[in-house]
Amino acid sequence: MLDGILTGLSTATMPINLFMVFIGCFVGTFIGMLPGLGPISAIALMIPITYGLDPASGIILMAGVYYGAIFGGSTSSILINAPGCSGTVVTAFDGYPLAQQGHAGKALALAAYASFTGGTVSAIFLLVAAPALASVSLSFQSADYFALMVLGLSAVAAFSGKGNILKALLMTVLGLMISTIGTDRSSGVDRFTFGRMDLVDGISFLLLAMATFALAEALMSILKPDENAEADEDAMSNLGSMKLTKEEVKEVAPVIARSSVLGFFVGVLPGAGATIAAFLAYGFERNLAKAKEKLKFGMGSLKGLAAPEAANNAASSGSFVPLLTLGIPGSGTTAIMLGALISYGIQPGPRLFLDNPEVFWSVIISMYVGNIVLLILNLPLIPYISRLLAVPRQILVPMILLFSITGVYLVSFNSADIQIMVIITVLAIIFRLLDFPLAPLLLGFILGGMLEDNLRRALLISDGSYSFVWERPITLTIFSITAFVLVAPIASGMWKRYRQKTLGYGASMQE
Amino acid sequence: MTISRDQIAGLVFLVFSLAYGYYATDIALLPGEEFEPINARSMPYVLSALGSVLSFFFVLASWRSAATLKPLNLQQLAWKPVLALLVVMVIYGLILDWIGFVVSTALFLIAGFRIMGERRPKILFGVSIPFVGVSWFCLTQLLDIYLAPGRLFSLLGG
Repeated sequence: MLDGILTGLSTATMPINLFMVFIGCFVGTFIGMLPGLGPISAIALMIPITYGLDPASGIILMAGVYYGAIFGGSTSSILINAPGCSGTVVTAFDGYPLAQQGHAGKALALAAYASFTGGTVSAIFLLVAAPALASVSLSFQSADYFALMVLGLSAVAAFSGKGNILKALLMTVLGLMISTIGTDRSSGVDRFTFGRMDLVDGISFLLLAMATFALAEALMSILKPDENAEADEDAMSNLGSMKLTKEEVKEVAPVIARSSVLGFFVGVLPGAGATIAAFLAYGFERNLAKAKEKLKFGMGSLKGLAAPEAANNAASSGSFVPLLTLGIPGSGTTAIMLGALISYGIQPGPRLFLDNPEVFWSVIISMYVGNIVLLILNLPLIPYISRLLAVPRQILVPMILLFSITGVYLVSFNSADIQIMVIITVLAIIFRLLDFPLAPLLLGFILGGMLEDNLRRALLISDGSYSFVWERPITLTIFSITAFVLVAPIASGMWKRYRQKTLGYGASMQE
Repeated sequence: MTISRDQIAGLVFLVFSLAYGYYATDIALLPGEEFEPINARSMPYVLSALGSVLSFFFVLASWRSAATLKPLNLQQLAWKPVLALLVVMVIYGLILDWIGFVVSTALFLIAGFRIMGERRPKILFGVSIPFVGVSWFCLTQLLDIYLAPGRLFSLLGG
């Protein structure tokens, strides 16, 4: 293991890779600050650039973009109450009131320190947890992988559905359906190509990611313009002091420590991710706080800002654990990274740790480097980056569209891809307007092929019998968890309605 | 009785899943493959069934929530620029092969800026043309990517 860490360290500290982390954090912060564009879009926009790099540098760049985007999202949450991504929604609860009271600089600095600590703590956990999990997962068979993928898909659907699990499940199925377009991997026959040569290779992952996230998000920002966008430019230029007093540090230090640990473990769970971690940490700290401090939450409490910031960064690192060790992404963002890794010819999973130790370890080490870069470079640069946001939208939006389109075109050199992108973008915008979540679609699309391969292999091993589902204890356990994940939200919804009914009935009886 | 937009979406999904299942029967099978435990048609069949069942339940469920659904105000959305940008993207895809990357990209940016409300020629041309120049330099000289000249120019040039 020490060997691996040293390999990773030497890879991650190569000048080119340090440069990648820096560029990634910077670009990520910028894109993350644009309201509406989140980490998934930021990473999607960077993928075509990473195709020219070697896999370790590519994934390091994307990890940097990921951190940067989350940090940028917090910045816009704090300054203009417009979270760049769902993970930083909670940050705005206390961050924005702080900024309104004239403590924007302090809020930003605290967010950066909390993120840094969260990232550091979970990078250390990752260092220990990932190899351990990777060695356990070497004993996994196709049946277990199949079960894990079903779990991953269900969990993402259950958590990202914004209360409507059926919508999310439908999108997952749609993603799986799109993944069947093209040549069947085992028999080599065409499926759903309708005789078109453009579809024989299937729909490219990059195209789908760009169209559903980068393009659709950019166009959505025009479709539903922010009412208060203009008044906010002032907020960006007046930040106030960035210093924290000793008492304040003492006050928030235990909060940050608790939230970091909590965030990491929530992040490891498939489907949960940064958003849930941030909400949980905020709620947890609120319950722990004394009655007097509890009132401050939502009005500009430092604790209420530190908790979600530490937790969402810790969870972002935590979500790399299932990706790197099992090859199963737990969120939309890690799903995009999985797609990118596969296109480099690297299959994340237990073998990654053995076959490409330099990728495995350099990602973990560069996460740490990324956190340092964010703290010492991005924080002082925030006033300047936020000035970049003053680039008028009429210039910015066409540029983002151009980057998305040419990003796909310069990989395939097939101009029919641009038309397919437009069609998918239109569909994605309709889905967004109807509140259908798009992350499950992307995840279904990426896991579809692997899901089918593993099912086929599991069936071959068990001689065509479906008994593998209940014969292996690991498989059965994972399937049971899946069933729980799917049934729990539906059951709790039914229980709530039942209680409302009986309560309403009881109230009317009393009258 | 009115139909909510969720119900329409559910019905569209239902029809789509059924059509997907129907076209799955068109997938060719290798001789003897139908006796395999899993073949090229199995996954599509399962997905079609899953999609149909889920969308059926979704339509049922949205019956109950239809009353609480917030109305979607389509008039408040800025449709015009979005549609115009989509059209420009389609045109860009069509002309790219004919007039080459450099010219078509410059035209795309100028059209895009114009749609977004930028009228000053200084910005329209002053941003797009240098930008295309720099990207052309980066792509061809630094990254060694071959950009084919437009088919039209090759035709004219012989």
